[in-house]
This record gives sequence, C-alpha cells and structure tokens, in this order.
Amino acid sequence: MKPTVDKLIDQMQMLFKDLVAKDLMAPNVISISPDRTMEQAKELMRLKKISGLPVVENDILVGLVSIEDIIKALERHTIHDPIYKIMTKNLIVVSPDENLPQIFDKFTRTGFGRFPVVDNQKRLVGILTKEDILRGILEEFRLLYVRDKRRQDVIDGEALNRSLITGEEINKLGADFAFSIDYVEISLSGIGAARLKEFLKGRGIEEEIARKVAIATYEAETNVVIHSGSSGNIYCFLYPEYVRVRVEDHGKGIEDLDKAMQEGYSTATDQIREMGFGAGMGISNMHRYSDKMVIVSEIGKGVIVEMQFFLKDTANGS
Amino acid sequence: MPDDYWSFSRGSVIEMKLVDISKILEAKVCSGEEKLNDLEIERVGAADMMSDVLAFAKPGMLLITGLNTPQVVRTASIVGISTVVIVRKKQIPEETIQAAKMFGIPLLHSPLPMYTACGVLYTNNLKDIRSF
Repeated sequence: MKPTVDKLIDQMQMLFKDLVAKDLMAPNVISISPDRTMEQAKELMRLKKISGLPVVENDILVGLVSIEDIIKALERHTIHDPIYKIMTKNLIVVSPDENLPQIFDKFTRTGFGRFPVVDNQKRLVGILTKEDILRGILEEFRLLYVRDKRRQDVIDGEALNRSLITGEEINKLGADFAFSIDYVEISLSGIGAARLKEFLKGRGIEEEIARKVAIATYEAETNVVIHSGSSGNIYCFLYPEYVRVRVEDHGKGIEDLDKAMQEGYSTATDQIREMGFGAGMGISNMHRYSDKMVIVSEIGKGVIVEMQFFLKDTANGS
Repeated sequence: MPDDYWSFSRGSVIEMKLVDISKILEAKVCSGEEKLNDLEIERVGAADMMSDVLAFAKPGMLLITGLNTPQVVRTASIVGISTVVIVRKKQIPEETIQAAKMFGIPLLHSPLPMYTACGVLYTNNLKDIRSF
C-alpha cells in the first residue's frame, strides 16, 4: 500500500504543484497540552484512532507525541509523566503556503508520516499526512487518467460515443461546433481553436470562458498536428452549465502518458520547437484552463481528449 | 528615488499609448494603424514559446516575441493579447501581416533586440504579467 501511495503522489505532484499545504491539510487538529500525562495522550490517541498527537500550549505548537513515544513510555514506566518531558521537541513543520513538491520533498527526506502545519507565529493550523495529500488531489480531481480496460472500450467500442467525463451519450454529428484538423503544417495549427473562440463569442459565451476553451483547444489541436501523424476532429457541445470540447485523432497515440503529463516533457522535434511549440506545456495547459479533463490513448489507435468548462463558477473549489 | 517610483509602488495604473510605445521601440507599424492613438498598454510580456504564451499571457497585454509566423498572431488572438511586437527579425512574412489584419491585432516590427525592447518598456514602468 505505502509504495503505491508514494508512487502515485510522486506522479501527481507536478500536475498538482499549485496545491499548497493549507488546501491539503486537515484543519481542526486534535491536540493536547504539555502538562497532561502520557497516559492521557495514549487514551486520546486510542479514542480518536490517531497515531500522532500535536502538543499545543496557547495555540503554539510545542511538540509531538507519536505511538512510538507512547510505547517507549510504557516500556520505561514513564507513562504517568507529563507530556512535555517526553514529547518530541525537534519538529519539522510545514508552512501553510508550501506547495506539493516542497511538501513531498519533506516526506521523502525525513521518512516521517505526518507534518504539523504551523503559521508564521508558530500556531498550529493543521496536520498533513500522505493520505491527506492523496485526498486533496482527488478532491481537486480535474484530470482522470484512464489506463485500464476502459481505455480499450473507449478506443474500440461504443464508448467512443459516450462522454469520457459523464458517461452520457454524445452525438458528434449533432455537435454545436465541428472542425476537421486535416493538415499537417504546424504553422496552420490554432485555426480550429480560433474559429471555436469566434463561434463561442457568437453564441454569447463570456470572453473569459471563450478564452479558456480556445487556449485548451489550441493545445489539443497542436498536439494532433505535431504528434498524431494523422488527421483529427474538434467537437464542441454547448450545455446550459458548461461547454464540452472533444478533440480526437486516429494517430499513433501517446507512448508514455505519465511522461507526457509532466510539465516540460516533450517529444517534439527541433523544427517544431523553432516554431514556438514543443515546450512540454500542452497537457498542463489543457489541465490549467479546463475544469475537468480526461485523456484516453492507446498506442497506434489515437488520442481522445475531452474537456469540460463550467460557464459559471460552479466547479467546487476552483 | 525618482517620483515615478513612488507612484509605481502605490499601485497606480500606468498605461502607455501604443503610439508612444511604437516610437520608443523604433517600430514600424505593420497592422492596426487605426488603433495606435486609442489603445493603451498596461502589461507587457516576452516569449518565444507559444505554449508559454498560452499558459501565462494576460488579456490585453502586449507581447514581445522573436517569432514571426502567423501562429504568433493566431495565438495572440486566442489568449486576447492586444498587440504583438516582433523584434530582431529582418522580415515579417506577408501572411503574418495578413493574419494580424484579419484578427484586428496591431502588429509592430522593432529592430531592437528582445532584451533591449523589454528593457525600454520596463524602464517606462509598464507592468509584467504578474498581478500586483
């Protein structure tokens, strides 16, 4: 379980590097004051089913009691001693504004399972475990990475006509906007996105939303031109609450989706880089500007990117 | 400390008319002549990577770039960049100018190197893409 958690967090940390400790931490931390006994700490940890207890005096974090400390106290018969005699005082803490890579670095360097989050006045404001980070990422969940059997269904079968995000049926022939990416000239890339933006504005979509849709679509369109080696299509569907864009190609697919999702990673050639592309920002830009996004790819069969953009600020927490 | 410094640090909005920008950049106006006197620029960014532009551009800003392809103009239109300044390049392809006209984006051509063009605008207190 643990190595899987580490690997997952490692893969996701760059994608979610804008997440900071205060978004991820569990607030309302259960804590204890230093003049209580270790026995009382043990009872509190047992009752609340927690494995570490911050020690707080006048809101200020002064120490930490772990299960290990409890066991030692039991062995050494110091369980009735006050906490301040036994607690760990050399604390490594996280500040509320540290971002995911910085936090993850602390986890890896120290091997600790949890960090207290303290503000600049040393007040305890939360606690952060790897599980909190995973939960935070899942809540942030805008990008669903499908690498299992669903992928096969999507590429081969009927799922091709279903939304990757909501599962509802979509009729591409009835799309509100359709554009065929039938060129291989990188210098033409963006035409579809520019037309889509005009279309959206014509339909009365706010400039700010139209801009987000166009930017994300531009990146997807450029990926088709640079990487797919085939033609592709852009479909856009308007719903009362959101805009859905689907960009599909039938090209060679993404070889390593893990790497492709990393900011700065690109397999583009020098010629493409000279044109100002291939910075390895494509997928992260799509992610940055869309509210929900799913990418499905199968080697040799193409890539489908589906993105959803809320018309109002209905996305939770975004 | 120059007086400007204080007004700048108080966060007052400093804008510059495009016509003045074209003068200090010694630029030729390739398209959008009609907007020169009306358009006021508050923010400036410089990039050669279109993906960086897509990621970080602010609506209304002026973009300084060394790229001269029509794509620059298309990208500008998509992210809502108000003006494109192409620096250093000897030639701007006709199709780039046509694209700028089509999208109604002023396109300036400055002989200054990118660093200098940025420096000139920076010392005139135009903001960068960060919000403050």
